Amino acid sequence: MIKFENVHKHFGDFHVLNNINLEINKGEVVVIIGPSGSGKSTLLRCMNQLETISEGRLEVNGVVLSDKKVNINEFRKNVGMVFQHFNLYPNKTVLENIMLAPVKVLKKSKEEAKKTALYYLEKVGILEKADAYPSQLSGGQQQRVAIARGLAMNPQIMLFDEPTSALDPEMIGEVLDVMKALALEGMTMVVVTHEMGFAREVADRIIFIDKGQILEDADPTEFYNQPKDERARLFLSRILNH
Amino acid sequence: MLDFTILSENFDMFLEGFLNTLYVSFLALIGSFVLGTILAIFRIAPIKPLNWIGTIYVEFIRNIPLLIILFFIFTGLPVFEIRLSGFVAGTLALMIYTAAFIAEAIRAGILSVPKGQMEAARSSGLTYTQAMWHVILPQAIKIVIPPLGNQFINLVKNSSILTIVAAGELMYQGDLISSRTFVTFDVYIFVAVFYLIITLPLSLGVNRLEKRLAQSN
Repeated sequence: MIKFENVHKHFGDFHVLNNINLEINKGEVVVIIGPSGSGKSTLLRCMNQLETISEGRLEVNGVVLSDKKVNINEFRKNVGMVFQHFNLYPNKTVLENIMLAPVKVLKKSKEEAKKTALYYLEKVGILEKADAYPSQLSGGQQQRVAIARGLAMNPQIMLFDEPTSALDPEMIGEVLDVMKALALEGMTMVVVTHEMGFAREVADRIIFIDKGQILEDADPTEFYNQPKDERARLFLSRILNH
Repeated sequence: MLDFTILSENFDMFLEGFLNTLYVSFLALIGSFVLGTILAIFRIAPIKPLNWIGTIYVEFIRNIPLLIILFFIFTGLPVFEIRLSGFVAGTLALMIYTAAFIAEAIRAGILSVPKGQMEAARSSGLTYTQAMWHVILPQAIKIVIPPLGNQFINLVKNSSILTIVAAGELMYQGDLISSRTFVTFDVYIFVAVFYLIITLPLSLGVNRLEKRLAQSN
């Protein structure tokens, strides 16, 4: 479903991604971890071309993104993205936030889009906030709306870029619960996170990345018990014992 | 004491000037807002040639006097067999001139909308134009309203230089009355009052709108 082949990316002199080879299959839940500045967010953002790669081949959902002639808007219909800072549209209500892309991109009717939006709002457990503005919601609620906004496009893949990092601790659980439910339904998910509990419970694989290189690609239990890479071991002990 | 008979005896002329100023300002306001928005988008669009066009326009127009633009249109274009009335030439000049300032105000507003908004909109499959129109511009407009209001007030005041091409606006009528009656002081006081009738409500309106939008955030 997602395939990186010898992918490199440079920001000027900075080699953010260094020879990435990675394959993610349909229905897999893959968690990407790594120290800050390791390139994990960049890796994720390449998957819906918020960042373009400098070198190599990248194929996502049957579309070769490294090909210059790709219709990016068509491609993005099928890939949802959830951001660290939610990025809800502050001038629109919750319902309008969720309906915008289905109406404008999928050309759904307003009624149909509204029905879908309400369905997903119920699913993430905040149906009663449909007419509220984002500023009237807590961080956890905003992030759940953002997830509903992504799901309303009925995507093949959902990308999560540190979805709980900007949340107060007591709100992390409600967002992770929604993500767990989604994983159980078989959604293909790529999640950049430091939530090791989530990773252990839900992930099929854990990818450890540092200095733009994938140093570990392992089963969660395996990764926890005995990371092969020294840097991964160090990182793990630091986030588990903080 | 002010001589109010000057006002009452020449009221028709004052009124005509007032209405013409309103008309010129209204047309130039609409025109410069549309043109300014397009130029602002040109300046930030991810397409290099558009950036250049936007930048060249803004830097040229903003840095030359309005009077030169006006003369160029009114006396320069006839060289190419394009003859415009003072009213039309004046409205065009005001529009072209003000658009440069409006473009800068709107550009600043667009750039102050957090980057994540564009990213969220684009990731959901919206095109750049759709994202701009449905997500970025509605947020930018709030930020832009105070500077935009100032530009509109400037536009109304700047319309007074159209007197030079006999556009028939307020200043022109004032000059006419004054040269006919040899009264200067009183006439120009009344002219100023007529300008205030347009600009003060504009100024108060912008203040109120600003407060209301601040609350809705």
